[in-house]
Amino acid sequence: MNRKIKLVIAAAALALPLGGCASGAVGEGFSSHYALIGVRSVNVGDGSMAVTPPRPWNRQRARLFDDIRQVEDWTLNGPLLDGMSFVTGLRSGQYLIRQRRSEDRQVPKFRSDMTAPEVTAMLESLYRVRGGAVDFRTLSLTPRPFLGANGFQFDYEHLDTDELWRRGRAVGAVIDGRLYLILFDAARSHYYQNAIGDFEALVASARRRR
Amino acid sequence: MCMRCVELNRRSLLVGGGALAAASITGVAQARIRPQDMVPLIGPGYRPTDADERGLWQLMDRVEEEISGSSLLIKDPAITAYLQQLIGTVGGPAAKDMRIYLARVPDFNAMMFPSGFSVVFSGLLLRMRSEAQLAGVIAHESGHFLRRHMIRSWRDTRRKSDILAIGSMVAGVAGGAAGVNTGDLSQLAQLGTILSLLRYSRQMEAEADAMSVKLLADNGYPAAEAAEVWEQLIGEMDASARYRRRRRERRWDLFTTHPSPESRTADIKASAAEVTVPGRTYNNHRQRYLATIGPIRQMLLDDQVKLNDPGASQFLIETLARDGWNGLLRFYEAEVWRLRNRAGDDARAAQGYAVAVAYPDAPPEAWRWHGLSLIKQGRQSEGRAALARYLSLNPAAPDAPFIQQMIS
Amino acid sequence: MRKLGIAVALAVSVPVAGCVQTRQLADLQFTPPQGDYRLLVMRPDVSVGSVTTGGMVEPRADWTDQARANLTTAIRAQQAERGGQVQILERRDQLPGVSADEIAELERLHSAVGRSIALHKFMGAYLPTKRGRGLEYTLGQDAVELGRRTGYDYALFLYAEDSFASTGRVALQVLGIAGCFVGFCAPNIGGGGQFAYASLVDLKTGEVVWFNVLQAGTQIAGVNMGDIRTPEGSAQLVDRLLNRMKPGRDVRRAAGNR
Repeated sequence: MNRKIKLVIAAAALALPLGGCASGAVGEGFSSHYALIGVRSVNVGDGSMAVTPPRPWNRQRARLFDDIRQVEDWTLNGPLLDGMSFVTGLRSGQYLIRQRRSEDRQVPKFRSDMTAPEVTAMLESLYRVRGGAVDFRTLSLTPRPFLGANGFQFDYEHLDTDELWRRGRAVGAVIDGRLYLILFDAARSHYYQNAIGDFEALVASARRRR
Repeated sequence: MCMRCVELNRRSLLVGGGALAAASITGVAQARIRPQDMVPLIGPGYRPTDADERGLWQLMDRVEEEISGSSLLIKDPAITAYLQQLIGTVGGPAAKDMRIYLARVPDFNAMMFPSGFSVVFSGLLLRMRSEAQLAGVIAHESGHFLRRHMIRSWRDTRRKSDILAIGSMVAGVAGGAAGVNTGDLSQLAQLGTILSLLRYSRQMEAEADAMSVKLLADNGYPAAEAAEVWEQLIGEMDASARYRRRRRERRWDLFTTHPSPESRTADIKASAAEVTVPGRTYNNHRQRYLATIGPIRQMLLDDQVKLNDPGASQFLIETLARDGWNGLLRFYEAEVWRLRNRAGDDARAAQGYAVAVAYPDAPPEAWRWHGLSLIKQGRQSEGRAALARYLSLNPAAPDAPFIQQMIS
Repeated sequence: MRKLGIAVALAVSVPVAGCVQTRQLADLQFTPPQGDYRLLVMRPDVSVGSVTTGGMVEPRADWTDQARANLTTAIRAQQAERGGQVQILERRDQLPGVSADEIAELERLHSAVGRSIALHKFMGAYLPTKRGRGLEYTLGQDAVELGRRTGYDYALFLYAEDSFASTGRVALQVLGIAGCFVGFCAPNIGGGGQFAYASLVDLKTGEVVWFNVLQAGTQIAGVNMGDIRTPEGSAQLVDRLLNRMKPGRDVRRAAGNR
């Protein structure tokens, strides 16, 4: 009898919403999801690239099972509105994101012999397959030096299932068979213009460390 | 990489209703419904009189308002007019002047609403091999429409799931303005909510099948093509699952206990035989169909192939190629391999591009990928020539600056 | 036997009692609109669904429609009691000089901004760069343009969602697909239970100057609180969300925390 009561109470306790009434105070003390990036040189991804942001940004903390070590994401206003991503030393055969083998639709893996059009096609797949983009438009692909190598600049736009148009720019290069890339993606209305300057500053400041 | 970080599986939300859901319903253990018995229960100019049906129509009106404002619509007047013609023909007089919304969604689906509008997904247009096949899907939806399945099904759902006294739909509606439903991830304007209206029972699906056969034959289409559509779709789903080494997803099959749809296609074929008049000519109007969707066919293939579901895409392309290979199909077959990127696929894709560019209708992109493949094989001068060809075919290409630099 | 009955009743009543929270956040300098202001109430963004046996929330067209109608009626009644000139937008093409597409784009942008505010200011995914800075979100020039062309001072946006299982609201936390952002599942967005927010945008600057979140805990079958499919439930939600607008932190401090 006692055990039954305990079980009922335990079940009711489990029924409480996680972040709901039990969560307590309003306030901003609880922040294990994002870390502050200050205005100084910081190592990103697996540490093989360093950049210096022109103003503070928020770095998304790694989640144990979901993340690729070579990829790091930042945001200013939250990932629904803007995002800066860094790819550092992605090796041949690696994927940009974790996905289950059994998924119908998959993002292709990076190969070290990829040319710039193939890398950008891989990014387009990422948006269509993973991001749910229903329309994706390449605006331009031009040569651009990056980290001292012959790289490329990729400008694009996409319409997502929340019916919001977003715009992006990526600058990258394949160096010693590995992919290095900085990518900025944001809502086309206001948020892209708001931080594209930060993107350019980050690209200008980027250095390889090893 | 985070992107929007939203785990999205459009398909799992969109298959809730419409023609695609029909594919997962199987006819089991009941006598075949004869097409001759299927008479329309509504005629032209039908208007509901019952309070709940009026409420349902008003609801659909507001849903339509949202869909018509969606940024996901393909607004091609020629194709829309063609679909309208087709729906007016196969849907009977009650379906004339239906409003058509063509949505850019790379999935197989079509829906018809009694308040007078239809939604067709671009993925459906890609998969149809002829006008008869498209007419078959539309006729199936017309079957639901003409036999008033939606209101019957809706009454059933409400009876089972409503526990509160909510009051009549009409009263609730009187105060109301249309709201907006965006941001609920893959809700695609209002499509997510209205799919909840499209739950049809096995019996209803069988009626719709019988109706589709009758409507096809009455309008001079070979009725057996209706069965082909479902066979192609199931084949595609199987190929997709097989490639990922899974069984075809059962999660769509909310009602069925039988895994195979053979009995259903068998019923359709038997019905088709019944209504086919010997000596009469039937035409599937393949050429007319292909000519009409020709302008958007590349976009449809692009949207599908770029989802990188190689099992499904390969099956689909091979199915379309049963009516003849061309440069577009060969190019996209090679694209499937390039994106699939298993061992040996880059060589396979390279061969595919070489084959594609030999056709006169090869798209400019085929030349780009052909050129890049040649360069990677070490055949520099041939590769550069192919890239130059790409630039001459599409001088305003967005990646022209990069490609130009590669060949200079 | 009776002891068990009482223990069970206590156990299940604890989560229900008092489990409705409302939290406001405003720009530090915010003063609630008063006097002769012009307010545009945008079309409410509503979704009501049923929870499937698999635990997903499936939007129901009829419930959504009912809730939307009731909320609009409730907003209309609530605003009639305040000052200012209020227009409640019923169709996208209702404003002269502004196209339906422009309204649609603003609605969609606000949807992303509103969800971001809810997530990053209320639901635990706090952004360190925004610490202690009140509410720092904007709709940008598009909103300013709207204000310029229509003459409205403020725009009010409302979002509400709710879900029910066939036996009443779900007792367990249900994590729907729409509830998962940034790798973690924000409770109550798309999950079981009621979640709503109201957001006030200053059309002279395009900034979101006031934001209020309502979160009702999950319910046990038979206890119905604030069902937005009913007029009473909608009125209750609107009252909770809109009736207690407080000034921003700096303004309150300057007034000596009266």
